[in-house]
Parts: sequence; structure tokens; C-alpha cells
Amino acid sequence: MSTLRENWRVAVLVVLLLTSAIALFVPGVPPGTSADATNQGSTSEQLTNLNYGIQLSGGTRLRAPIVGITAENVNVTQADSTQLEQTVADELDLDTVDVRVRPISSERSTGAVEVVTKNVTHQELRTALENSGYQPTNVRDGVTPETRRQMVEAVDEKLRTSALSGASVQIVNVPGGQHFLSITAPDRDREELVDLLNERGTVKIYAVYPGGENGSFVREEVLKRSQMSDISAANREGVGWAVYITVSPDAADGFAQRMVDAGFGDGAPCGNYNHSDIQQTTAGESADPALSNDEPGCLVHTLNGEVVTARGVTPGLGKSFADGDFVNDPVYVMQTGSSENPAETANEIELNLRAGQLPAPLDLSEDSGSSLDPALAEQFKQNSLLTGLLAVLAVSLVVYMRYKRVEVVVPMVVTALSEVFILLGFVAFVQYPLNLSHLAGFIAVIGTGVDDLIIIADEILQQGEVETGRVFQSRFRKAFWVIGAAAATTIMAMSPLMVLPLGDLSGFAIITIVGVLIGVLVTRPAYGDILRNLVLDED
Amino acid sequence: MFEFEVPEVDYTRYSNRQLVAVPLAVLVLSLAVIGGWWAVTGAPVDRGIDFTGGTELTVGTNATLTNEEIEATFDEPVVSVQGITTTSDSTYESQYVVTFDNSTSVSSVRSAAQSSAELSLLGSGTTSPLFGGQNQRLAVIGVGVAFLGMSLLAFAFFRTFVPSIAIVISAFSDIMIPLAIMNLLGIKLSLGIVAAFLMLIGYSVDSDILLNNHVLRRSGGFYESTYRAMRTGVTMTLTSIAAMTVMAVAATIFGIGLMADIGLILVLGLTADLMNTYLLNVTLLRWYKYEGVNR
Repeated sequence: MSTLRENWRVAVLVVLLLTSAIALFVPGVPPGTSADATNQGSTSEQLTNLNYGIQLSGGTRLRAPIVGITAENVNVTQADSTQLEQTVADELDLDTVDVRVRPISSERSTGAVEVVTKNVTHQELRTALENSGYQPTNVRDGVTPETRRQMVEAVDEKLRTSALSGASVQIVNVPGGQHFLSITAPDRDREELVDLLNERGTVKIYAVYPGGENGSFVREEVLKRSQMSDISAANREGVGWAVYITVSPDAADGFAQRMVDAGFGDGAPCGNYNHSDIQQTTAGESADPALSNDEPGCLVHTLNGEVVTARGVTPGLGKSFADGDFVNDPVYVMQTGSSENPAETANEIELNLRAGQLPAPLDLSEDSGSSLDPALAEQFKQNSLLTGLLAVLAVSLVVYMRYKRVEVVVPMVVTALSEVFILLGFVAFVQYPLNLSHLAGFIAVIGTGVDDLIIIADEILQQGEVETGRVFQSRFRKAFWVIGAAAATTIMAMSPLMVLPLGDLSGFAIITIVGVLIGVLVTRPAYGDILRNLVLDED
Repeated sequence: MFEFEVPEVDYTRYSNRQLVAVPLAVLVLSLAVIGGWWAVTGAPVDRGIDFTGGTELTVGTNATLTNEEIEATFDEPVVSVQGITTTSDSTYESQYVVTFDNSTSVSSVRSAAQSSAELSLLGSGTTSPLFGGQNQRLAVIGVGVAFLGMSLLAFAFFRTFVPSIAIVISAFSDIMIPLAIMNLLGIKLSLGIVAAFLMLIGYSVDSDILLNNHVLRRSGGFYESTYRAMRTGVTMTLTSIAAMTVMAVAATIFGIGLMADIGLILVLGLTADLMNTYLLNVTLLRWYKYEGVNR
């Protein structure tokens, strides 16, 4: 029992090492990882729970400012906001989607007006507002916090629906009031990520029917994005690839009514549809004899202006519009079987309907980021590991040359490595993505770690033998003053990097600081205990 | 096998003036280089693309290409082409890092590399001038705050002026000397190097604190205390130099820029630290111990 009490520091070290081993190697232990390795597809062969960043596994990181200027302290109320949006848009010759009024509300004490396009100057926005009788205190670059939050949500939605695993988006705040959107996407190159972000895909659902003068065809948008409550793409038996759109309850009735009004109440055949000249629409040869004498009509789905499908309406569906059955089960099925790649088209429509467009564009001409091929990343991973091992070897060699005593040197190297091991366990547990800068941080930790161990060793081994535990204690405490002071300065030196958004360096600083803390609190004291046992045993 | 024992320096043979002359001369020389650089180029050190903005592409090829042939792939002006050593398991026989200035758009050089028959695009990194300027501002703040924090801690630990200021001067010199050497070797400042400077602040203070602690807070004569501190401190610094030399060499060969930068700067800075600690700092402490205290 007393051995345990005397060596409690070693005991703590062993416990931490075991915990780290569990965090590192047992699948599913870190929150957010899957215990079922087979579920993860390509990542199933992963040996550890470590999460690699793009520098070590490939992918793209983008940081870009959000386009926009904001007029602050505009005294606009909720009631006036729609009107002001329209007026400002007209004045600046913009679409209203590019002008956003943030009226005074419970969440903001002053109103703001933002313009999310590049071509408007601060002065133009100020003038436009002053013409409407508002007096903004200042006009600044950047958008409102609400828009920034919406940007993160919109990009996040895009990333999630595009099956980008491990992708993330966040706002980076720079001291001085600037904000950037930072997006990380593993396994994608820069072009793919930019395409995904730039895609302001619009899906429209039209009814084309002979409702005009003299039976000429008209095109009417019958279902808007805001009227849909759930969207999913699926491949079901008997239907093939299709997008299932659930119409929201309060819009379903109106939608059915519009369809009946347009003459789809008893179904409609759609044989020939020409998007550029809708008058060419004919009934064609319908497979369904019930429709052969009916007036032609089509439901047309477009993605970014291009027709995806144009289909008729079966009598059954038409009847459900007419007798109100549709309202009870308001699922609209958009089949994509006729397009070249039904699966891809269905998913693309789903993605565009779900994610919609970004609230404001990103200024990609001002971006900063990196993109790395997975093969090159793998090469970096191996080479940097090798570099780290060589560095450890060099340290061991120098220490051995100095002390020439295996019982001093081996625990020293083992202790320094266990520091790295615990740190790796920590990193695996919090699922922090490892990058090159973190590996540099590991090497920094080994460096300061060995320095401290040398201080402890020299202090304890000085001037002959350590006869009693009490002498040991006093020497150990003396050594610890220096170690603590050195650790405090290292943490002090690294702490600015932790908070300043300096790209990779924050990770480097975090790893170094956490490593130094683990070292000072656990591993380096434990080395003292180990050394005492080894040295006292000799006598 | 080779072994080393930290040699005992006979400080009594030299006067204070003689001892501080060397580190002070090196510091003054470094400041002159940095100052001259500042006057001529407008910046104390050449800044890399992390700070000026610019684009870097990593390309691989199995063809034998000269740097000129690689440059010809791009319409945009190429700043430099640098070969990276590849290992046997690499996909390509040769890899190059091609650097462009901040007038170049990353998408156009990426597509040029992608459409080239001989080159394969492996990676790219870009920093816009906007981000570059910001990085520069933040890096200056970061190093400034770190240095100030370190200085305050040094004063808090020892609470006497001379030993504390000795730590500060020595850390300052440890940063200035590598900075001047960077200019002479034509190395550009990168974010990795900023990290290295911050690490250097931490490392450099270690041996200084150790020395001050032994001399001021322990019993025993000045020279004996100094020797004991040196034995430990020199071993510490030498192990770090060994680790960083290996890291710098390996990372340079493998083309891992960030680690190579950190390694090189730390080797230079730690070597400067050996000189500063055991010539400048020791002398200031000796002066304080024998003359300063009696004033």
C-alpha cells in the first residue's frame, strides 16, 4: 500500500496511458466516432481513432470573406422593413435578394441594412438610405451577424447534403472586426468545393397547360420552395429514382386547387414538350387510353433553367387533386427516370431544393486556403512521422552520450514518448483534426519534455548518491521550481497564437500548451519517482 | 563511442568587458543587418507568401523536365520552382513546388497544371494579399504579446532588475540573430517561422531561468553554481539542437516546408542562445553578484 502512496505519480501516469490507449485504439470511444467500423466504408481500415486534417489526409480548406457592406444604426422597424428593402433595391438597381433589412427586434437594439453584392459603394448605400429618410451612423465592410450565422447554416447544409464526410464550416473572427468563413472539406479538390458553394441551384416546378387565349399554352409555377416541408431523393421499386417532395400542410390545399384550375383534375397527357416554345406541346400518343382524348398538359421540372423532366399527370393523381385526397397525403413525386443519370439528377435536385442558395456570396478572389491530393498528404503523413522518429532518436543519442547510464536514459526517453502518447490520446478523444503544424507541436513537446527531464535527472543525480527519500524530495522540489517557471513562460509565449486566427499556428500552440501541461502535471513528476526507485534500489 | 562532458569554462580568466563583447557585437551586427534590410527593402525581413499573398502549387511528374519547361506550362509569371525529394513509394518520380506572386489567381494556375499533359497537380496553397496583410498584423501582435508576457514573467520570478533584464536581452538577441541570418541566407518569413520564434522564446528562457536560479537561489559560490547550471543547461540546449537539426534536414529533404522552417530557425536560435546565456547572461549575473549588489 505504501509503495502505491509513494509512487502515486507513476500510478497516475499509468492510468493516463491506459486511458489514452483506449481513446486511441478502441473504436467508438471518442464521442462522434462510429463503433461499427464496417459502417465507415473506406475509413474502416483505420488503425486508430485519430482524425487527420487536410494536410495529412488530403482535401481542401478555403477561407474567404463574405461579400457585402452594412449600414449600422438604421432606425427601421419590423413594419417598415419590407418597404425599405424594396426602395433600397430599386434605388441601387438591385434584386431584393441582395438587400437585407435587419429591423429593430428583441435581439437587436438598432436596425441595420446590408447589401450583399460587390458593386455598391458605402456612399451609394448611405445615399439610398438617406433618400428614404434614414440616418445610418456608419457604413462598414462586412455583413450582419445574422447573415454570418445564416451563411454557416447554409454552407453546412450544402456540405451535409453533398455527402462530404467530415466537412466543416465556421466563422473566423479576426481582432479588428473582420470575419471570414472558413470551410474544410476532406477528399475534395478546390474546384469541386468551389462549384458546390457557387451552385446557386434553383429548382422550379411549372404546370404547362392550355389556359391562355384560344387555348394557347401558359406556364405557371405551381409549387415553390417555401411550400415544401420535406424533400428526399430515393430509388423505390416500381418508381425508379425520384425526388419525394412533401408539400407543407397549409400549402397542399392551394397546390391541389391550382392543379385542378389548370385542368389537371382528370389527369393530362404530355407527349411533346419544348421549353423554348411551349405552344408546341401536344398530347402525343399516351400509353394510358383514359387520357387519349384529354387536353394536353405537362408538369415541368427545371434545374437552373434546364428541363429535367416533363411529364403528364395520371388520372389517379389528377383525381386526388380534385377530390382532396392529395391533401391527406401531400407527397409530390418528381421522377427522374428519363434523364441521363437518374440517381445523380435526383440527388442534385434534392441538394438544390434543400440547401438553396447562400444568403451572400463568398469573395473567392480574396480567398486563402490550401488543397492537397490525398496521395501527397499520405506522403506527408509518413515522412513527418519519420522526421519525428528521427528527432526522438537524435535526442536519445545525445542524452545517452551525456549520461551513459541506461537506467537514467531509457526512462527519460520512455517518459518523453509517453507524453506524446497521452497527447495523442487527448487529440483522438476530442477528435481534433491533426495537421502538420500539430506534428511540429509534438516535436516541440518532446523538446521541452526532455529538457525538463534533464533538469530533474541532473538535480537528483548531483553530488553522489541520494541516501534518503527526504533528500530526494528536497532536490525534486528544487528542480520543479525551474520546470514550473519554464513551463509558465512557454505557455505564455504560445498563448497569443491560440486565440489569434493565424491559420495552422493555432493548432501548433494548442498542442504545445496541452503537451506542456500534461508534462508538468503528470509525466515529468512521474519520471522523478521512477528515477528515485531506480537510484535508491542501487544501494 | 563518442561521449561528451560539458567542459568547465574558466570564467575568471576573462573580464566582464571581454565576455560581453562577443555576444553584444553579434547582436549589434544582427541589428545592423536587419536595420539595413529595413532601410533598403522597406521590411526588416523578406516576407513569404503567407504575408505578401501569393500561390504555391505542388506538382508531380514522371517526365524529366527542367525548371524552364515547368515555368513554360504557366502563362502567369513564376517566382520560383523548387524540387522536392521523393521516396520510392511516391506516385511520381519528381515533385516540384511552383510559387507565384499575389497577382496570380489560384484557379487559373490550378487549371493550367491540371490541363498540362506532363504535370499532375498534387496540391495548392494560396494567400490573398488581404489575408497576408492580416497575418502580418496578427503575427506582430502575437510575437509582441508573447515577448511582453515572457518579460513580465521573468521579472515576476526574480524580482530584481539585472537578472531579469538579462533574460529579456538574451531572448531578444536569440530572435534577432536568426532573423539577420535569414536575411543573409535569403530565407523568407513564413507562419512556420513565426511559430519557431515563439518556441524560441520558450526554449531560450529555460536555460536562462536555470542559470539565474542556480546562481541566485542556491548556496555555493558563483563559479560552482554557474558550472552546475551549465552542465544541465548545455545538455538541454544540445539535445534540442540535435532534435531540430534532424527535423530541419529531414523535413527539407521531404519538402515539408513548415517543419523545415521551424527546425532551421530553432537550430540558429538555440545556437545563439548558447552564446547569449553563457557569455552575456553569466557576465551580467557576475557583475550583479560581485558589484551590483553592493551598490
